[in-house]
Amino acid sequence: MSEMEQSEVGQNETGRGIGTDEWVAQHEDRVGAPQTGMARVAQQWTRLPGLVRWGIPLVIFLSVPFIGSSDYILRIGVNLGLFVLLALGLNLVVGYSGLLDLGFVAFYGFGAYAYAMLSSEQFGIHLNSLLALGLVVATTAAFGFILGLPSRRLTGDYLAIATLFFGQMFAVFVVSSDEFQLPGMSDPVDITGGANGITQVDQISVLGFTFETNLSYYLLVVALVVFFTVATKRIHFSRHGLAWRSLGEDSVAAQHMTIPTVRLKLLAFTIGAGVAGLAGAIFASVQQGVYPSEFMLPLLITIYAALILGGLGSIPGILLGAFIMVVLPEVLRFPDYSNGIFLAVLVIAVIVMVKSWKVLVWAFGGMVVIGFLVNGILLALKVPYLAAQEWITGPLAPVLGVWVFMPENRVLFGNIAFVALVGLAAWMSIMSRRTRLIVLPFALWLAIWTWEVRLLLEPSVTRQLLIGALLIVLMAARPQGLLGKPRVEVL
Amino acid sequence: MTATALELRAVTKTFGGLVSLDALSLAVQEREVLSVIGPNGAGKTTFFNIITGVYQPDSGDVLLYGESITGQSPDRVARMGVARTFQNVRLFLNLTVRENITAAMYGRTKSNLLDTLFGTPRARRERRENEERVLDALSFFGTRLQGYRLDQPAYSLSYANRRRLEIARAMATGARVLLLDEPAAGMNPAETHEITEIIGRLRAERDYTIVVIEHDMHVVEGVSDRVIALDHGVKIAEGSFDSVATDPSVVEAYLGRGSAAKK
Amino acid sequence: MEYFLEQLVNGVIFGGVYALIALGYTLIYGVLQFLNLAHGEVYMMGAFFGFFTMTALGGPSMSILPVPLMILLMFVVAMGGSALLGIGIERFAYRPLRRSSRLAPLISALGVSLFLQSAALLLFSSKVRLYDSNLFLNMQSGISFFGVMIDIAEIMVVVGAIGLMVVLWFLVNRTNLGRAMRAVAVDQDAAVMNGIDVDRTVVWTFGIASALAGAAGVMSGLLLYPVDQYIGVFAGLKGFTAAVLGGIGSIPGAMLGGFLLGITEAMVTAYLNPTYSDFLAFFILVIVLLVRPRGLLGRPALVKV
Repeated sequence: MSEMEQSEVGQNETGRGIGTDEWVAQHEDRVGAPQTGMARVAQQWTRLPGLVRWGIPLVIFLSVPFIGSSDYILRIGVNLGLFVLLALGLNLVVGYSGLLDLGFVAFYGFGAYAYAMLSSEQFGIHLNSLLALGLVVATTAAFGFILGLPSRRLTGDYLAIATLFFGQMFAVFVVSSDEFQLPGMSDPVDITGGANGITQVDQISVLGFTFETNLSYYLLVVALVVFFTVATKRIHFSRHGLAWRSLGEDSVAAQHMTIPTVRLKLLAFTIGAGVAGLAGAIFASVQQGVYPSEFMLPLLITIYAALILGGLGSIPGILLGAFIMVVLPEVLRFPDYSNGIFLAVLVIAVIVMVKSWKVLVWAFGGMVVIGFLVNGILLALKVPYLAAQEWITGPLAPVLGVWVFMPENRVLFGNIAFVALVGLAAWMSIMSRRTRLIVLPFALWLAIWTWEVRLLLEPSVTRQLLIGALLIVLMAARPQGLLGKPRVEVL
Repeated sequence: MTATALELRAVTKTFGGLVSLDALSLAVQEREVLSVIGPNGAGKTTFFNIITGVYQPDSGDVLLYGESITGQSPDRVARMGVARTFQNVRLFLNLTVRENITAAMYGRTKSNLLDTLFGTPRARRERRENEERVLDALSFFGTRLQGYRLDQPAYSLSYANRRRLEIARAMATGARVLLLDEPAAGMNPAETHEITEIIGRLRAERDYTIVVIEHDMHVVEGVSDRVIALDHGVKIAEGSFDSVATDPSVVEAYLGRGSAAKK
Repeated sequence: MEYFLEQLVNGVIFGGVYALIALGYTLIYGVLQFLNLAHGEVYMMGAFFGFFTMTALGGPSMSILPVPLMILLMFVVAMGGSALLGIGIERFAYRPLRRSSRLAPLISALGVSLFLQSAALLLFSSKVRLYDSNLFLNMQSGISFFGVMIDIAEIMVVVGAIGLMVVLWFLVNRTNLGRAMRAVAVDQDAAVMNGIDVDRTVVWTFGIASALAGAAGVMSGLLLYPVDQYIGVFAGLKGFTAAVLGGIGSIPGAMLGGFLLGITEAMVTAYLNPTYSDFLAFFILVIVLLVRPRGLLGRPALVKV
């Protein structure tokens, strides 16, 4: 990384001036053609004109409605687009400015609820959509400003907790405000519909056109995503973008370099909140309802996971992370698909991390053998079990049905296996490389067994488990995420 | 008649029970190079921190071209024309060389977010001007920080280059007064010689007023018009390098009472 | 007046629980300058561990052991289990990140928090558990304190909390381990140079902090508060508020903050609106952080520029 300098201290007499750097001058000669296939592809990709690089994904997304006419897929697309908006908004606050806002999801909820209150029977108000949207964005942004005020004095850790608390407060307020006692009024007022939320929220209608179908919302969302992605890209290299990124790097040094850090932090909070509010309002109108459970901590952690998985501050990374975080759980809903995907991911991960094919044979071969061994042992112990057709269907059934021993008491066995798996995985993280490879077949078998026996039974819990584990592993192994650049930090 | 660029009037700063600066008064003329020396803990970096607004003085005043800047926030002070480098280099490590310098030009430009979003003429013009200023600031340091280096992250630079970049970044703010905190620390003799030349050229070619904190007496000797020695927050000597270097109280502060007696 | 005293007593009792959680935060922050966002989940697990110990022994109504022994065992298992859990979390989730960015450990802690909540949901199901301590403790017996009835469970909690605090104080101020903890808290590198095994000290710190949280979990169960996988969230946040109120990094501060928070919360619940009691902690936190970030007993942090 550090370059060697072959410079000369200039002597004014020779006229060469200070510091002629031979190393820099010879740079072009040193940098040859890229070697690996991946690098060549990457280089060709960057050579394409910007319009093409942006246009291709755009065309892909615009053609989704025409591939298989499933409304369900369009709905996922809308959710994905809204999620991307949230991620882009949060990126401004965390990715650029380094402000750990753990209450961000409250702005999303606030936008949704505010819109719902202005466009439903809750208070009998049905504001014109544009007006409602404008008001929602403005008020959410104002809330962002307010939440940002403490950031002047709070550093990273404290800001995190304060904002986390704020997010929790919002959730509590929303759930318990169906009987809000206003001073001076005799009856409590139902502000937020409590745990049941607000239903029958109006759809957005602009200039006579009402967004009624998922398709129309999908196109709206795609347009917004394009707008905000381009905006983020432009901001990245702009005066404000650099200012935010500098303050994220070293806030004190940034201040000394004319950057008004306080103002910029507030601006980041405000804009981030505004974007989240807009996404929330659209969400409320697509769903035609708002419910408190949708705006809680798990969603926040999912957004963070998306940002970090993709790579903080990297725009393609954000898009990729969002895609994985939204689409994967949807796929997990279908046990046949989720089975296949889990196994595929596991196999690919092992292949990528283990380079030698001999070890691969050991790993997978050993795994298969252990599976049958365990079957034998458990059969001999007369553990009651389920026949294949009782627990699995789909293309993998013949193989898995034979190889996986499915005990009747799935929950008990599965729980034990789960705890063992977590312990083993943790232990493996500190083993020496050799020991790790020796244990690998057993670990692989245990992982698949736990998945089939227990985790498949509860997809929503499994999803949270995976996200939590993902964050832990990512921070330790690859903090810059998939597409981010490795960062250097001074403590 | 040259103006007084920077002036401190009876500035006092205490931390808990420790007096860091004790009624310190000094004045720096425009285009002057003033060096501040003194043993560690003498209050030199605190002195910089008071000027740039990191700390508020307990009493006293700081004036920039006659205007009070006491207690202003660092970004305001920077925009008013005082820029600095830090004792432990504080670059924006994950930003490129170009970005480090461009970031510092915030105070000199006016484009807002709308300008950025819509690519207005103002945005484009300022981007061009910034690019020119980047090359201009870096040209001071030869070809070291040019070419492909412009787009390398700052953490990939060698130590000496990082110090140079920090100076270039301070120049980019458009300041008239530079505060350099140990610019030659950790440099080998060749690099030290070069820094001495650079400081001289900064004043000669760009009319900067420069205050330098330094321990390396070669640098101090080579650049200074005037030297001030601090010890325990008090000015113990002031004058030309020769007079201060041989001043008995200065020798005592650095080397102890016995050495002063021997001299 | 009697009502006031009753609320005061309630506040002190639950304040003791908050104090124990706060101590955990403060210990870890003091030694590592790291806010363990997953600490609340350790408390939650402790509550579960205690519950399962109780049911394993035949409780709540048909314990095979004499009740005091059963309760003791519940504490031992909960505290031991929590300690091991905390040590495991430190070893595998936080230690690899000790030299990386400021953000990474916090994100990892978020992940740990979510993981633990989901694991609890998976392993223990979403059923809400109750200790039903009234089935094995005679809630009618107790003492009368200036006219306020304090039942035996509450006595146990107060005595236990104070007892643990005394032990902690002794540990930190009178043992070598405590001295090592204080040294690492001040300057990690200097501690290493003085022959202190920082890793081991950190392990002990996490173990102790987590054990305290586990004890708090059992206590909260004994006080008949429900146990499910979400109780860690608010308990954690409130415990953190108490720690900050008292001054994060200060052990007496955590104790003071815990009791103050408990009492204030009891008063607000009783005299104002019960739903506001959760909000209260949040407001206290924000005000403390804005007005006096160092808390009541903390020392101001000096940052060298």
